[in-house]
Amino acid sequence: MNKALFAATAAIALLGACKEQPAAADNLHADHNAVAENASAPAAAPVGKEEAAKIMHERHEGMEKIGKATKALGREMKNDAPDLAVVRTSAATIAELAPKTSNWFPAGTGPDVGKTDAKAEIWQKPEDFAAKTKDFQAAAAAFNDAAKGDDVAVIKARFGDLGKSCKACHDGYRKKDD
Amino acid sequence: MTDPATKQRVWDLPTRLFHWLLVALIGFSWWSAENSKTDWHIWSGIAVLTLLVFRLLWGFFGSSTARFASFLRGPGAVRDYLRDPDGWRSPGHTPLGGLSVLALLGLTAIQVALGLVSVDEDGLNEGPLAGLVSIDTADAARELHEAAFNILLAFIILHVAAILYYRLFKRKRLVGPMITGRADFDPEAEPMRPAKLWTALLCLAAAIAFARWILAGAPPFGG
Repeated sequence: MNKALFAATAAIALLGACKEQPAAADNLHADHNAVAENASAPAAAPVGKEEAAKIMHERHEGMEKIGKATKALGREMKNDAPDLAVVRTSAATIAELAPKTSNWFPAGTGPDVGKTDAKAEIWQKPEDFAAKTKDFQAAAAAFNDAAKGDDVAVIKARFGDLGKSCKACHDGYRKKDD
Repeated sequence: MTDPATKQRVWDLPTRLFHWLLVALIGFSWWSAENSKTDWHIWSGIAVLTLLVFRLLWGFFGSSTARFASFLRGPGAVRDYLRDPDGWRSPGHTPLGGLSVLALLGLTAIQVALGLVSVDEDGLNEGPLAGLVSIDTADAARELHEAAFNILLAFIILHVAAILYYRLFKRKRLVGPMITGRADFDPEAEPMRPAKLWTALLCLAAAIAFARWILAGAPPFGG
């Protein structure tokens, strides 16, 4: 009986270990939210709890809107003749929200404050995060411009660039969707 | 080593290849999902789909031990087997083993089906059949696809535990036969009746054709 128990436990432990979240290490960085931002960012004092909740909610809703627009666009891009009305509306939505993202991540809105998919790395690598934010904003604007025209090839190409800019940030700064 | 004359064939090559390729692909599917390699993950899922369709066909046209009819015998057979395990004299899966095949194949099929209609969180990758459903449905499918893996994983753990149990307690080696295709000779067991190679190739061709149709969006329903 003991042999079986040990073997079963070992098997479960080994297989269970595979599922362990890599984000568990993020908790070690919980104290970093008060670290000063880089020189080009606005005032470094963390926002209060109420303000934080408001911003985090707006951030979440905004990202979901961008996601929904991206999903609609993804479907159109599969067609040879995408519905330009859908493309233009979705592109405009993303272009409108992109600039706002610069204000969505003040100090004090990280994972130590509440439930969020934003990783602590955002406030540990503020320059890199700011650079990627700028790339996203540029890609959103470029895509919106292309969408105003009729060149489907260019529209598809700019959408590809936009998708890359989403991924560039999400890969390092958003928690894995589990 | 053991004298080949005392061994008998139990698992044919297509069945063995299917089993170990599935293990590798499920592992790769899990890894690619965890590391956000979504395009690789989708290809891996298509490969699993192809294997499953092959296995389904092989379950009707394959060697005797691969056929569902040989190990899916109904609850009565499971009960009889549990009462008298040594009374089961056929090579290959016991009725209880047969149930585990059903469970694992079924759960893997559900995993694939959900993935086919899923869209990822950002909307940048979607399964080949996601166009057949609404965005909200595709989102929900993804969440179910992620949750369902835990159920599949639980059964995989159970499967591995059972193999270990057989090895440690019933002194029955099951991994070796699934690699070499040969098990210790049992004079009372009826011999395995192998199927022809061309049958396997035909089943494989059909599975690949089906997967290609799915990849195209399953016209005329989609694509």
